[in-house]
Amino acid sequence: MDRIRERLGLPNLPEIYVESNINLLLRRAKENRTVGIEEYVNTGGYSALEKALKRMTPEDILVLVEESTLRGRGGAGFPTGRKWRFILMNPKPRYLICNADESEPGTFKDRIIIERDPHLLIEGMIITGYTIGAEEGYIYIRGEYPAGYKILEYAINEAREHGFLGKNILGTDFSFDIKVYRGAGAYICGEETALIESLEGKRGHPRLKPPYPPQWGLYGRPTIVNNVETLSNIPIIITYGRYFMNIGPVGFFGPKLFPISGKVERPGVYESTMDITLRELIEMAGGIKGGRKFKAVFSGALGVYGEKDLDIPMDYSPKGFGGTGTTIVLDETDCIIDSLLVIANFFHHESCGKCTPCRVGTYEQLNILKKFKNGTATKKDLDYLKHIAKNIPIGSICGLGYSAPQAIVDALEKFPEEFEAHLEGKCPAGVCFK
Amino acid sequence: MAYKYLTEDIIKKIDEYRNKFPYKEQAIIPSLHEILEKYRDIPEKSLEELAEYLKVPLSHIEGIVSFYDMFRFKKNARHHIRICRNLPCHLANYQSLLEKIKKLTNADVGKSSADGRWYIELVECIGSCAIAPAFLIDNDLYDGSNLTDEELKKILEKYK
Ligand SMILES: Cc1cc2nc3c(=O)[nH]c(=O)nc-3n(C[C@H](O)[C@H](O)[C@H](O)COP(=O)(O)O)c2cc1C
Ligand code: SF4
Ligand code: FES
Repeated sequence: MDRIRERLGLPNLPEIYVESNINLLLRRAKENRTVGIEEYVNTGGYSALEKALKRMTPEDILVLVEESTLRGRGGAGFPTGRKWRFILMNPKPRYLICNADESEPGTFKDRIIIERDPHLLIEGMIITGYTIGAEEGYIYIRGEYPAGYKILEYAINEAREHGFLGKNILGTDFSFDIKVYRGAGAYICGEETALIESLEGKRGHPRLKPPYPPQWGLYGRPTIVNNVETLSNIPIIITYGRYFMNIGPVGFFGPKLFPISGKVERPGVYESTMDITLRELIEMAGGIKGGRKFKAVFSGALGVYGEKDLDIPMDYSPKGFGGTGTTIVLDETDCIIDSLLVIANFFHHESCGKCTPCRVGTYEQLNILKKFKNGTATKKDLDYLKHIAKNIPIGSICGLGYSAPQAIVDALEKFPEEFEAHLEGKCPAGVCFK
Repeated sequence: MAYKYLTEDIIKKIDEYRNKFPYKEQAIIPSLHEILEKYRDIPEKSLEELAEYLKVPLSHIEGIVSFYDMFRFKKNARHHIRICRNLPCHLANYQSLLEKIKKLTNADVGKSSADGRWYIELVECIGSCAIAPAFLIDNDLYDGSNLTDEELKKILEKYK
């Protein structure tokens, strides 16, 4: 049925729930197949590129992207327009990198765009290249997405054959091309400066910032790094123009993808405007599995939410959910301590080891949580855990170190009774001490 | 120099990567992927050959191999099973899947089976949390939710 995947010799990619109530980013991606260039063009694809190149100046596009309130979907939520404005102050040649490393635990939204509607991303990259004055773009895709790599290579070739990539695109004097580079299993390479190091053929150690990539990035040149979902918004913004600002709540316009996993009836990728609340989102995914009681949400490895947080909006306001939108749902039979231990193990494994507080602190966190899990933790351990959590970020130079204790800090605040119970040798969910 | 591991087809690929990217260091990771694909492992000797061919210091390549999880040396087995252990797969009880796979393959985490057919590794999130517990066999991704013992057996039989 899927000619492209068949031709590329790809095994059938597993079925998951992919649903949308607005049909923007997921418009062509709800079925489990790869949309080729003919179908993409026949359904309006590459018309945003045509409009951008022929009827808009880079400055027109930049102003529109600024007004769109688009924020980065890779985790940090930085305003995209502001980042692009920043690079224009620095000389050419400039580069564009698409961050397709997607390794945050519980995150599987970018792969849906890559595997099902790759031209949406490619079109977004070309328009971005035009806007920021770059002639070369790279996609850095994690090594564990071999199918995505092949599909991107294939789609880029299609785009080249149709004159959307290469020299003098659509007869204009703008030229742009894209190369795909595979990672090889290292969460830290999603951090933008580590990614650049890795793309240059080195170990993926983060660089000291500043200078930031828009000043000093790939090959020491000004570089924009943007997430897959961020870039895939660009053709939609161009197509809708000012009407984009009618989609979703004021200040957080446009679509957002939410990868939902854990104890829900229909785990998958859901698209919505950002006025949806955490509670509504869980309902969209069918509610808690088996009619059990809700306990918590882990936003990947980066934050923990409880019952009281269920009515927060999934937007980028200070109180909003923000980040990548990653939603891992725990029910009453799951244990907070046990889950934190998994996350602590992850950070310990993925710390690149460059900064001592991060390298040692993630190890200490892990050891203390192990004690909580096996019932040997004391009040002293709890105090020490709080102490470490405060200190890891201070001596760290990158986002991994800043966020390594965050889930623990959140859990200490929202689920203090879980820590207390474990100190007394009790696991409320009946998971630990076995 | 005659190469043992850098066969003609691999060298052709390496040359492609050399032409694709401006710096020769950028061919290292893609080349290691090719070596891994062909040998299901990174033979130590292949690193010397790659260093020689690309004219980069061996220590630089070794540094890369030790940094990236996918390139860590392992016992040479024909098929590589990667089971995810991160939170969504943990909540879906990957441990039970692991036990079943261990029994069916006679391999253990970090240890190949005696017949050299299987190697099992626990990995961090592989971006497939909606089908938790998710696992990869070589390049093929599998849905571990609602998987019966019979189905699992059938999947494993595909890999000789
Ligand atoms: C440890 C770490 C891992 C990250 N992983 C990713 C990732 O896999 N994908 C991504 O887009 N951004 C990731 N980021 C964020 C990037 O550093 C960067 O902010 C982002 O790619 C910028 O794009 P955006 O503004 O479009 O979000 C990570 C950051 C850190 C600190
Ligand atoms: S904070 Fe941690 S991951 Fe980041 S550079 Fe330092 S040691 Fe590496
Ligand atoms: S946590 Fe297992 S695939 Fe994401």
